[in-house]
Amino acid sequence: MNEVVTAGCALLVLFGTTLTICERNAFDKLISLSVLVAGVIPFIVARGYLDIATATALIAPLSTIFTLMVLFRRQER
Amino acid sequence: MPEDLLRILVAAAVCWANFMAFDLFWKLPLEGGVSGATAIAHEVERKGGALHGGFMMGNIVSSPDASAGTLLAACGVFIAGIPGGLLAAMCVYVGNRICHDPGYAGTTGCIAATFIIYGLCQVGFVATDFIAGMVIAILTIQGVSAVHASRLIERLWKWRS
Amino acid sequence: MSPDELAVTICIVIAVYSAVRIALERNTLKKLPFLNVVSFAVTGVIAIILPHPLTILAAAAYFVGSTLESNAIASTIAGGPEEKDE
Repeated sequence: MNEVVTAGCALLVLFGTTLTICERNAFDKLISLSVLVAGVIPFIVARGYLDIATATALIAPLSTIFTLMVLFRRQER
Repeated sequence: MPEDLLRILVAAAVCWANFMAFDLFWKLPLEGGVSGATAIAHEVERKGGALHGGFMMGNIVSSPDASAGTLLAACGVFIAGIPGGLLAAMCVYVGNRICHDPGYAGTTGCIAATFIIYGLCQVGFVATDFIAGMVIAILTIQGVSAVHASRLIERLWKWRS
Repeated sequence: MSPDELAVTICIVIAVYSAVRIALERNTLKKLPFLNVVSFAVTGVIAIILPHPLTILAAAAYFVGSTLESNAIASTIAGGPEEKDE
């Protein structure tokens, strides 16, 4: 993992965090959160923890889906 | 360095031709597979794009199709040769089933891309060229201009049907 | 610069470009294609920085998970999750 990749992944994490804080729509916040996860996973893989990377990659979308269920119920009301 | 860039551009053209051929063969631009794909298509059309191109963009977003198959086949061939590509094809099939898709386009595209990439690696290409090439190819479809990309797909779709 | 480094640099540059496009796009549904480009690029980066047989599984799991997430978000915006649940 060279310096360009480290800087790029750090930029992805920073963009994801800033957008998650600043966006107003809840769906936009969820999309920004998945940009954040996209930036984090290469850091985990670069250390060699492939099992943790697989688990993170599966848990993050599942938590998004549960959040979406709550959002949908609130929209209905 | 210049010949590396040239190889990546040629690999991008090969990947683009491969995934577009398989997506058109399995009729992805015909209709949206799930309701989210249809919503994306209507959004693209409302902004001035073409409807069938929008359907294909929505289908690429909402289930792993031949473009995902080509990318994972390139990763598999880079790591483990032909067996890696076939393992990647199995992963694409499982992912397709999770996303409520029949999975023909992704699996056949992945298997074909495995053999194309392995063959081209014997004549001077490197497998990482195809990973970068596939990322460039998906950038031209999804990431530059939705209006122009959907019109281009619409033209290819009319020519096929 | 070796071919591996050139390829991984191209992938990460495209990922950052797509993240900027996500920040600039105002429509929620039109952000999803750019998110798809980010997950393609990150899958490529994962595969290049650690060549190991398990990496294929990790990359495929990341890609399928990200696709499922986009699918769920788009379907919820389009009218609720009851069509995609069986």
